[in-house]
Amino acid sequence: MLTRRTALGAGLALPALRIARAQSAQVVVGTWGGDYGDLLSANIDKPLLAPRGVEVVQDVGPQDPRKTKLIAERQSRRGSMDVCCLSDVDMFTLAQQGVFEPIDPARVPNLGKAIPSLKRPYSVPHIYSAKVILYNPAKVTAPPQGYADLWDPKYRGRVGLVDILHLQNMEAASIAAGGDEHNYEPGKKKLMELRSLDAKVYPSNEALAAALKSEEIWLTIMWLARGFMWKKSGIPVEAAVPSEGATSICFEMAVPKNARNRDGALAYLNAALDARAQTAFADRMGYAPTVTDAQLPPELARQISLTPEQQAKLRTPDYEYIAKNQSALIDFWNKEFKR
Amino acid sequence: MAALVLPATLLVLGLLVAPMAILFRISLDRYSPTELVQEALTGENYLRAIADPYYREVLGTTLGIALLCTLLALLIAFPAAWWLARLEGRRRSLAVILTLFPLLVGNVVRAAGWMALLGRDGAINAALRGLGLIREPLGLLYTPGAVVAGIVAVVAPYMILTLATVIEAIPRNLEEAAANLGASPAAAFRRVVLPMALPGIAAGCVLVFILCMNAYATPVLLGGPQFKMMAPAVFDQFVRGTNWPFGAALAFILLLVTLALTLAGSAALSRRTAPR
Repeated sequence: MLTRRTALGAGLALPALRIARAQSAQVVVGTWGGDYGDLLSANIDKPLLAPRGVEVVQDVGPQDPRKTKLIAERQSRRGSMDVCCLSDVDMFTLAQQGVFEPIDPARVPNLGKAIPSLKRPYSVPHIYSAKVILYNPAKVTAPPQGYADLWDPKYRGRVGLVDILHLQNMEAASIAAGGDEHNYEPGKKKLMELRSLDAKVYPSNEALAAALKSEEIWLTIMWLARGFMWKKSGIPVEAAVPSEGATSICFEMAVPKNARNRDGALAYLNAALDARAQTAFADRMGYAPTVTDAQLPPELARQISLTPEQQAKLRTPDYEYIAKNQSALIDFWNKEFKR
Repeated sequence: MAALVLPATLLVLGLLVAPMAILFRISLDRYSPTELVQEALTGENYLRAIADPYYREVLGTTLGIALLCTLLALLIAFPAAWWLARLEGRRRSLAVILTLFPLLVGNVVRAAGWMALLGRDGAINAALRGLGLIREPLGLLYTPGAVVAGIVAVVAPYMILTLATVIEAIPRNLEEAAANLGASPAAAFRRVVLPMALPGIAAGCVLVFILCMNAYATPVLLGGPQFKMMAPAVFDQFVRGTNWPFGAALAFILLLVTLALTLAGSAALSRRTAPR
């Protein structure tokens, strides 16, 4: 039966036709471009899958269109991606829509070595990091202890937040207000206080990085991985892990139910968890491996991973809460905080 | 002969009318955090958008910016179009190519250029600091002014070319005749050239107004996160809020307002140009 939903799905899936399937051994991976895409290609596609006759084609694009594409395609019989890379929050939202094939651990043997707290029934964890406070050590002489330090009036006008991390910023504000990751309501009032302290909002990570570099702002909330990369590129920042406990960010991979090459997709997920493939992302992007058998040089490990005590306090975002409230949360962020 | 329009008609039906119809249907659905789009037949998305002062403000900003940019583009483009229309031969072709040249660069790339110009460490601030005129950099980027400048630069070529085509058709000897009869150049412009150019002004303004109303990349990149126009607000609902029904309703409100104002504007102008 052709319902309007299937018609919609089919209509929106048309671009998928441009990917001609010459052979069934082709795997289409929906991913970010830039370093991430290059590293996938250099460390997974070429060394691990090409020898097995699996040809990987990257469908490169930003995360938001990829997410929207999955929603649009969810009713169609044949999707345009075999493997989809998304951040943990979006992955959960889409998994709730029943978009992804449940992961069968028997088909992805390397999953056995993955960090247990990062495992999900619908995806495999690829790389991860933690949300921290980045500060300019020349201007902020006492390293911040917790998120609440961002509300110190002496930093009026010197705290910058990035627009795209609106959920993460709201969670941090809730924690600063004494709440937790399961309810962002206390964070709303706290964010309005930060607003009256002239907090700045930047449209992109690049704009935020430029503001940190020019010392227009001194403090922000960001992933440890990105802080590491920024520091490497000469931006004056140090990372402080909040005493309330950092929150994890995991970039995951999943197989849509309408993937055309499921076997190839599972082989891809397994290869992505291979220790050899994992370490490359640490050096070039600052993200920590999600498998326990990946060995990093100690100096690198010290900079991009948490201490065992910090690890013990690591918070996982409340995906269910976010999925349920994200429409209302973005409304608050746009209509109240940013106004 | 009718078969000649068939490919274009099919294309429009398949790629414009059908998706729009689907989008309209979605705008009558209900948002649900678990299902995302829940089938329904309700006008509540439209009511919510109209009742919410925030979206009224976004629509107001969009209208204000679009009207201002259209007016500025007209003021900037008219002299340029007049000059262009009076050129001849190779000089004219060269001028047309130069006018078209900015359109070869995408909106995003052009916005990036503006960012390099207006940023805190941008060219303008660096120059002013170098001259000792300012000590602290001026906040030029992420302001409505930056958006207006960016959009006007995007739409000016459309306005110039539309106006030039019409001005070209005004015989030059009419201006000479007016001068001969004692009209000053200003009077000749006001009483001869301007009335005859009105249809072109109307066409150019309609085209540019529509482009301004739908501006996306320029307000996002130059206006910053606090500045909201309708197209970015629609994107936010679809992509960040995953609220397709409400996003679709906002899209149709934008479309209807643009259409209504365009029709009203052209009707008003065509009344003025009708032979009396």
